[in-house]
Formats: sequence, C-alpha cells, structure tokens
Amino acid sequence: MSYYFAIIGTQDNPLFEYEFGTSKQGGDGQARFNEQARHLNQFILHSSLDIVEEVQWTNGQLYLKVIDRFFTNYISCFMTGGNVKFLLLHQPTATAGGASSSRNSTSVGANPTSPQTEEAIKNFFTEVYENYVKAIMSPFYKVNMEIRSPVFRQRVAAAGRKYL
Amino acid sequence: MQPPDDNNARLTQEPVQPLPMAASAMRLPKTRQSLPSDSHPLARSESSLPPLPIRDRRSTPSAAASLFRSTLTPPGSRSASPASSIARSPARMSMTGSVFGSIGGGTAGSRQQQSQSLLDTAAAGDPGDPLHLMLRSFVPHIAIHASEDVDGLVREKGFEGGLWELLRPFGERVQGKVTIRDSNGAARTWEDFAVRFVRFGEGVEEPDPLVGVGNANGQTASGAVKKPDMLAQVETVVERHLRFAEEAYVGSVASPPMTPTRLGVDTDATSPYYALYLRRLLSGIPLACHESFAHPVACVMAISSRNPSPIEALQKLYRETSQGERRLPPWVDGDYLRYYILVHDEENGDITMSMALFEQMKRNLGLHCHLLRLRSTQSAETDDDSIPLPRSDWMTAAEELADIEASDTREDFEDPTRYIFESDATAIRTFVREMVIQSVIPTMERNISVWNDQVASRRRGISGRFMSLSKRWAFGSSSRSSSGGASGSSNNYDALGFYRADTPEAIMRRLADFAFMLRDWKLAMSTYDLLRGDFQNDKAWKYHASANEMAALALLIMPQNMSSKTRLETINQMLEQAFYSYHIRCNSLYGAVRCTVLALELLRLRGGSGIDEAVRWGVRVMESKLMGPMGDALLKERMAVCYASKQGAGSQAWGSRRRKSALWSVLSAEAWIAQAKYVQARRCLDEARSMYALLPGECGVQNFAVASDFLAQLNDQLKTGLRADAAGEGERTVEEQGGEPELLMVDEESETLGSRRSRRTSLIAPVGGAAGLETAPLNDTKPARLPEDERGTPTTDGFG
Repeated sequence: MSYYFAIIGTQDNPLFEYEFGTSKQGGDGQARFNEQARHLNQFILHSSLDIVEEVQWTNGQLYLKVIDRFFTNYISCFMTGGNVKFLLLHQPTATAGGASSSRNSTSVGANPTSPQTEEAIKNFFTEVYENYVKAIMSPFYKVNMEIRSPVFRQRVAAAGRKYL
Repeated sequence: MQPPDDNNARLTQEPVQPLPMAASAMRLPKTRQSLPSDSHPLARSESSLPPLPIRDRRSTPSAAASLFRSTLTPPGSRSASPASSIARSPARMSMTGSVFGSIGGGTAGSRQQQSQSLLDTAAAGDPGDPLHLMLRSFVPHIAIHASEDVDGLVREKGFEGGLWELLRPFGERVQGKVTIRDSNGAARTWEDFAVRFVRFGEGVEEPDPLVGVGNANGQTASGAVKKPDMLAQVETVVERHLRFAEEAYVGSVASPPMTPTRLGVDTDATSPYYALYLRRLLSGIPLACHESFAHPVACVMAISSRNPSPIEALQKLYRETSQGERRLPPWVDGDYLRYYILVHDEENGDITMSMALFEQMKRNLGLHCHLLRLRSTQSAETDDDSIPLPRSDWMTAAEELADIEASDTREDFEDPTRYIFESDATAIRTFVREMVIQSVIPTMERNISVWNDQVASRRRGISGRFMSLSKRWAFGSSSRSSSGGASGSSNNYDALGFYRADTPEAIMRRLADFAFMLRDWKLAMSTYDLLRGDFQNDKAWKYHASANEMAALALLIMPQNMSSKTRLETINQMLEQAFYSYHIRCNSLYGAVRCTVLALELLRLRGGSGIDEAVRWGVRVMESKLMGPMGDALLKERMAVCYASKQGAGSQAWGSRRRKSALWSVLSAEAWIAQAKYVQARRCLDEARSMYALLPGECGVQNFAVASDFLAQLNDQLKTGLRADAAGEGERTVEEQGGEPELLMVDEESETLGSRRSRRTSLIAPVGGAAGLETAPLNDTKPARLPEDERGTPTTDGFG
C-alpha cells in the first residue's frame, strides 16, 4: 500500500504534499509508486477535485470516505474549513495486496473500501487536521500559502506511521 | 447557488449545442478551412455536384487519398440533410447538471430527457455520432445471389465484385421516407432507413463446438478454423488512416492554404477516427448463430436479359439457396424472402423481350420482382451524366485493409472510385426503395406479428412465465426434437451447441432482432428480456451475452419512465452479465468490446450520472486490455469527451467533470505520442490545455510540480516528433517548412509559459468573434456554442 497525501487550496493549488508507504504488516513506510507513473498521482488527485466538488454537498460530514477511483487508485477526502481539502490517494500494492489479502483480508490496505481502512484513514485525517489547524495559526501564514513547516511534515509522517 | 430548475430552464432556452469534442467548443482551431460538402450522391435524387477532387488537395497520390476519404472529410458534412439540423431538439441541452441530478434523481430537465427516446435527440441525426452509427449498423441484411451473366454484365461496367458491389452503396440510405408500423400498429416515419447488402453465404461464423458433445451432423466440424481477429483488423485500418493523416499533414505543411482539414475537423462531434473505429467494428457483423442481425432478411436473386434460359437460371439460383452446399447453416432460418430481379441490358438487350420475360416472372413468382434497367458500358468520369459511386461506408475492416495494402504494394493502383451513369443510379435507387418499402419491411412486419402471436405471447402469458420455452416444447411436440437426434436432452441447445432455426428460442431471438431493426424498442426489449433468462437456464452463454447486450441497448434507447436509479442498476446488471459472458465464458473479445463501447455511448447520451457510468465501462474495457494500443488511445480520447459533455450547474459549473476530462486528454496524448501519432497527440494536448484553462482557478495542474513537468515533457516530445516528421518528409520544401509548424509551436509555447491573462485571451476571446463566421459553411449549428463560451468566461473570476 502506497499513499500520496496532499492538501489542496482553494485555487486547486497544492499546499502540502507527502508520499509515504504503509507501516503496518512490516511495511517500511516507503511509498512504492511506479516511477514511470508518478506524475499520475498528481493528475488523478487533481481530477478527483471534480468529484469532491460534487460530493461535498451531499452529506454533513467532513470526512467523505472514498470518493473516487481511478483504476487501482482510491481517493479519500476530508474537507476543512475555508474550502481546503485533504486528499489521500491510496494504492494497494499489486503483489503484496494479493498475498496479504489471502492472509488477512481485514488488514488496513488490503481492501481500500473496507470499514477498517475507512476508520484508519479517518483517524489519520483527524490527527492531521488538528496539526494543520495549529500550523496555519502561525501569524506568518496567509491563505493558500504553501505549508513549509518541517514540524508539520514530521507530524503528518507520524500520523501516517501510526494509523496507516 | 442557483436552483437547478432555473438553470435547466435557462439551458433549454439556449440554442442547441452540439456535443463538443472535449473542450474544442471553447476553442478556436488555429487554421480552419471550410470544405465544400462532399454530399452523398445517392442520398439525393437530384443530380449532385461532383465531389471534391481530392487529388488536387494533397501531394499524395490520388488513388490512395480516396481510400482514406472517410476520415478526411468532416463527417458532419457528409449527408447534410436539412432534417438533421431540424431534428436537433432542445432536449439535448438538458444533459443534467448533476450535483443535484445524482442526489435528487433528476431535475425537471433530466426527467424530460429520460422520458423520451434517444432517437428524438439530436445525436440520432448526426452522421458521425455513435448512436447514428449504431442505428445504421443493426439494419436488415439482404443477401445478393446473382447469376453468372449478371455479374458479367456488372463487371463490364467496372465493378469487379459483381452486382453486390454495385448495389451496396445504395443500401446505405434508402431514398425518401420509410414508414414502419410497430407491434401496436402505430406508424412512424424514418428518414434514414438503411439496409445492408451482403454476398450470399458470406461471413458465416461457426458456433463454438460444445466440449464433450459429438457433432450431431458434422456442421460444426470446420468451426475450429481460427478466424481472423476482427479487432486487430479494425485497429490496423484505423492505424493506416492515422498514418495517412500524419503524412498528409506533413506533406501539406509546405503550403499553408492546403492545410489538411484536420484542424477543422476537431470541432465536430466525434473524432473521425473514433467514428471509423466504431464503423469498422460494426460493419462486419458475422453471420453467427447467437444473433440474427446478419441473417438475411431477404435474398435478391438476379438474372439478366442475356441469359438464354432465364427461368431455369432462376430455378437454379433458388435451389442453391435452399439446398446443396451453399445452403445457409441450420441456425439460419431458410424462410427468408426471395426477391427476383431481372437486369436488363439497356444497350444490347431488347426491351420488349425483357418486358415479356418480366411479365412471365411476375406471373410465376409473385410480386417480389423487379426489372432493373442498366447500361452495360463503363461510365467514365468525363461523361456528362456520370456520377461517382462512393465507396461503401460499411465495408468491413478486412476489405478496407486489402484495399490499402493493394495501394501500398502495387505501383499501378488505380483510383477505386467508380462512376456510373445518372440513369443507372436512378434505376437502382428506385429499385432499392421499392424493394425495401414494398417487400422487405412488410415481410418483416408480418413476421414480427406472426411470431409475436404464436411464440412470444404464449411465453408472456401466465403459464409461460413459469416454464422456459424448451421444456414446453419438449412436452408439446416431441417430434420436433427428432431432427436434432438427441431427444433425450431437455433443451434445444445442448445437443448441437446452437439453437436450430425452428426452435422457439431462435424464433424469439429473430423476433427481437427484427423489432430492433425496425426500431420497435419496446417489443425488442421485452423479448430480449424473456430470452435472457432462458438462455441462462440453458447455459447458452453466447446467446445469453448477446441477449443481455441488446436488451441493455434497447432499454437505453427507448423512452424511459423508470427512475434513473433503478434504470441504471438494471442496465448495469445486464451489461455486467453480457460483458462477463462474452469476455470470460465465451472469450469473445469482439462481443465484449462491441457491447461495452455501444453501451457507454448510449449512457453518455443519457447524461447525468449515466456519464460516470459510461466512463466506468470505458475503464473496464481498458482494464481488461481488450483493445490494442490504437483502440486504447481512441477510447481514452473518448473518455475525455464523455466527461466534457457533463454539464455543470451554476456559475461554478459544479458537477461538471472538466478536470477529469483534461486528465483523460492528457492520457490520450501520452498514448498517441507513444505511437508516434503526433498530430492526434497535439489535438489531445490542446484539449487538455483548454479544459484546464476553463477551471475556476485557471491554472490547471500548473501548481503540481511533477504533473506540470510531465505536461511540459509531453509538449517537448510532441514538438520534436512533429519536427522530425517534417524534416523527414522532404527536402523540397525546406524554406517553407519553417512557416507553419513553428508558428503553431510558438503558439503552444506561449500558452504553457504565458501568463493566465494571455492564455485566456488566446483561447477564449477570439471564439466569439470568429466562430460564427468561419464555421458557418461547415455546420449551421456552430454559433450555438457562443453562449457556452460566454458562460465560461465569467466563471474565471468569481469564486476564489
């Protein structure tokens, strides 16, 4: 399972990007995206903003679960105030996914739409959200500015390790 | 946020907007050359202007150019009948904006659209549109069986393929209106009815032999012969067309006024290559057992006045079709209509003798006769009253491929365009019309009502619902099964691996297909629906797949009153079963591709959440890797169009899919570049760019570092590719080559690098001024795009 997490500003501009891999089931936390298709992550994430804009009106939650799918890439979304979106692209690793799903199909990542995975991603988003709110409280931060804080990055990484 | 109803009302008042080719609606093609319409000479009774001399337009050899005409001329201009523009009803505009559509189950506008048949929408009248192509492909097939002397006569006129080759183009559009009664007796008139002429006994596809079951009568023994892969052939044809376009582009760079129509074409609804792909995919429907579309509805038997013993010749022809080696296989109903024609040689024959013979034929053979008077000499282009006979739009991939290869290998390849005399054309048109209106359609209508009464209605009754057809018949008339030789078997399928033509299942299937061909969707749909279950019980998977496919298509076309959610679910279920049966159970890639591609087109026309479904099916095809690289790229391009045709709501266009559309355009550009089809790639990239420019933020993926790097990289590849093409083409035009391509490239560069402001002006602003003026001769609906643009511009500075 590989993850690509991005915070998208109001102008479709990425405020923060982070790639990581799963730390569960002995994962080393490294993203295993196909090097040739790496650019696709951004394209896909960007394109699913269309869906976000549609789905965001349909329910009262901030966490919208998996909203979109592009071949084997799944997109989860979390809305924040000010029309800033958290998007997480998760891609089950083709080979490892097959092996681990036979062993333990309830594990996070084997099945991107399972309740367990949804719950894990929700926890991740919630933790990131708290850190995000604190990060943008910085007096030097302005709307739609890129978040460069290394502390924030560390905390996102930690949340990723913890839940995904 | 604007209330959806308001919005839809506004939309419906607007002039009709033809389907944009992704973003092209909002874009001004850089060079556009309007092309005098290459009208279909056969569709019109008055004499038409000679078509464009294509040879003058390009530096390439004329003979080859005419082979590729189908993608050179904009499809929209082909049969610009006034009806098609009138038929563009406002319903098209109600493609729902579905932030709300998907939740609430449809706004007023979408409901209105759902409650009408897709045929009443504009797409049915647009020659390049997939719906139109679909209607034109599932048409009655008429076999042609001519005696030697007829073929000899026609060969003297320059048609090597005999009478069939001469008649074929005339079947593609039956002149005038055709009135068809449906099963309820309601008449409906169609302008665009067509029939397909095929050679008798051609294209038979043997059923797959059943494993573990002995061949009952040896019929299936030869079925193991590997048939050529149809999909691969289609791919190759499209590839050749593209290669030709690429070369023509390069060749035309030298002289800017001669720029190929390529740049003008992309504003048309459907990419000509995609249309070509579909047409070739649908043109060679094999004479298979699991569907009866290609089974002859009628057979034309022709003799000529040269024949010394005409009546004997007719008898011989008849015998050949009903018995002996050339008889059709047992799953084809042998009871089709026989239509007899006497070809009179106007130049050498004696008309009184022919008339006498014709009277005799009418006395002996009944009313299904016709006297066709043709001149026997070859008509040349220079003759006063000659008109060109267009190449058939519906030739199969294999035929077209053979032609293209011949033009490659043989130096002396001549222009395949043939000319016939105006009088001959009139005679044939009259003949086709008379045959279709007086014989073929009444026969089909009668068959439908007979079968509907005798077979289908029993099945629809109370008792029929509980028992499948086979069981009832096995009890009812046990003598019937003796012909199969396996009376112990409980159903009609097991013994042979196909249903014989006289089994109720086969009759029902024919009933449904006839109804489909005569556009009685309701009857077709209900019959297919009954058959689905039967075939599943009998485990006749190919039949099952096909019945599901056609049921879904009929359901999509017919007027809807189910709520959109149930409807989509039903359709999805049918498609799912069809796809699974074709792909996994029968390994019929052709069937799987045809089924999904047609379904996705119809879903797209249904609008709203149908569009998301359409794309889902497209992705499904890609995932299953059913198509080759060419089809894949075309399909990706099509996905972009699908998403682009989803309308948003409100000034922010919520619910539209512009980003998605752009993503697919990028993907298709990538796919085209991988195949070195740079002209196509550039088009796709332009689409993507203008889509991104329409976004609220106006910057697309610019802020995503990797993605925009990738775009720039694609652009570079494109430039080097185009330049390499141009450099390789010829040294003779060195100094002029600098002109056009550079100009275009500079333009592109400034688009990528330039500020938002400049991009916006370059992309959007000129459209308003120029679109009406420049495109008007091509298509009178072009100005309708203006409102869309005007709506597009204010969105750029509203929200952020």
